Amino acid sequence: MAKKYGLIAKFDTPADIMHAAEKVRDAGYKQWDVITPFPIHGMDPAMGLKRSIVPRFTIVGGTLGFTTGMSMIWFTNAYDYKILIGGKPLFSPMFAFPVSYELTILFSAFASIAGMFIMNKLPMHYHPMLKHKEVAASSDDKFFLYIETADPQYSEESTRSLLESLNPVEIDELDD
Amino acid sequence: MSSQATTSNIAMNQDASLPNPKKWLTIGAIGLLISLVGLISSPIGAYSYLVSVLFVSSIAIGMLFLVLIHHIFDAGWSTVVRRQAENFLSVVPYLGFLFIPLFLMTMKDNGLIWIWMDDTASLHGHGTVGEDVLYLKKTWWLNETFFWIRAIICFGSWAFFARALRKHSFSQDSDGKAEHTFACRKLAAGGLVVVALTWSCAAFDWIMGLEYHWFSTMFGVWFFANAMRAALAVLVLTCTYLVAKGPLKGIFNNKHLHDLTTLSFAFCVFWAYISFSQYFLIWNGNIPEETFWFNYREEGIYFYIGMFLVFGHFLFPFLFLLQFKLKTAHASARFICCWILFMQLFDLYYNILPSLKDSHGEPYQMFSSPLNFVWFISGIVGVVGILLWAYWTSFNKVKIIPIRDPRITESLNHSH
Repeated sequence: MAKKYGLIAKFDTPADIMHAAEKVRDAGYKQWDVITPFPIHGMDPAMGLKRSIVPRFTIVGGTLGFTTGMSMIWFTNAYDYKILIGGKPLFSPMFAFPVSYELTILFSAFASIAGMFIMNKLPMHYHPMLKHKEVAASSDDKFFLYIETADPQYSEESTRSLLESLNPVEIDELDD
Repeated sequence: MSSQATTSNIAMNQDASLPNPKKWLTIGAIGLLISLVGLISSPIGAYSYLVSVLFVSSIAIGMLFLVLIHHIFDAGWSTVVRRQAENFLSVVPYLGFLFIPLFLMTMKDNGLIWIWMDDTASLHGHGTVGEDVLYLKKTWWLNETFFWIRAIICFGSWAFFARALRKHSFSQDSDGKAEHTFACRKLAAGGLVVVALTWSCAAFDWIMGLEYHWFSTMFGVWFFANAMRAALAVLVLTCTYLVAKGPLKGIFNNKHLHDLTTLSFAFCVFWAYISFSQYFLIWNGNIPEETFWFNYREEGIYFYIGMFLVFGHFLFPFLFLLQFKLKTAHASARFICCWILFMQLFDLYYNILPSLKDSHGEPYQMFSSPLNFVWFISGIVGVVGILLWAYWTSFNKVKIIPIRDPRITESLNHSH
């Protein structure tokens, strides 16, 4: 007996799903999502999504990269095995800068990808939507909105009646 | 025709609350007159005048670059801000006139600004310019005739492209022909090459030429980065001002602002990249022919100005413009743009003033006399007055946005 993941509603047009998303947002649901065949401009505010916090990961990664670069050059050239080259100081931020700069970019990129994985709860080996009978239509010409049972506001009757009030083509149950 | 009804409303630019161009002309003329007294009376006054002219040139040519780049990429989003840049282009033909006093002064006193113009000028402890083998090897480029011909080519080509781009854009407002867009695109293809070369030439001749022993291939690109930063800062200030005063309200949206400040951020990094690369290669190469230029810039006040540039012209705007909220709010965007313009001026001082030497062959200290401030401030007030006079004159003559540009709807609806 499969556990129930949530209720899913199907819509025919981008305008319908946009209005539906606004109503679900205003009803105060948190654990829900829309699935559309293509990105719909204005969907983020319609769903009440805030700006991504991935940039926070990026700045942490960048700062780490910069300090790693600086300290690595200091450690290798001025501390662990002192080498005097061309009469230059053993350590200077000047020649450590190109390395630090590259590591800033590299670590920023790694941190951004890691941040994206964390925020998206990846890796996710499957999504309940994949078991839905019309999963193929969701990447063709149909628009879906589901509300998870995990949502604190979820209740069998009120959630179903909310979805019905959005005039979907069809409401279905989504198994986990 | 409902579209024409709305466009005629947009064309109502004259507004009592907006500045009067004549007021700015008066301010500019007074500033320039005082600055010209400085040019005639002392070398620091002459250098200060050069800084002022290059400051306004970098804003104007930065605008020219922005318009050319807009056309070469067939950009959509920037159509509504392009008109303000075109208004600023009206100052470009006057830049050459601002340069004439420098020409006249060097005719009177050859080595006043560019020391190589005077064969008899003595180099501290190394004879005269005329006996200097490093100068003799460079005479094919650094001779007065060729120097002034290059200046005429620079100002002439900038004026040509500025006028042509403005003419096509304004004609399109009345006849709505797509040919103007195609003509601008062709102008941009040639113009970018010509302006890139002439602008580098300007950097080499007018700034690097002050210290003719020194050479850096980065210098033209450094000047380009500065011009772009200055122009973007002025453009953000103008657009946010026009939103606050009404003309661009509801037209210039937060997404346009975000894009302009993002470009500002990009050129902040670009400026740092170029400036650092120049310093780093010279530091690493460590040969006296190149390092002496930076040695002069570590003496006295210039050391602190250099450090101020590293942290104030790069690190602070970098961290500031990283933040989405600060980039997209009008007040904070205005603040950082004023800051960038201020730092841009210091960058010019840092690159130009130490080339002026005192009687001991040491770089002339920028703040050595209170009188210097009179020349610094009057020069900047003068050129900014001329810039704003040209801007508001043009602003009152033309429509607030290019209403019949093929991409204007796309730009008005720019939101993603």
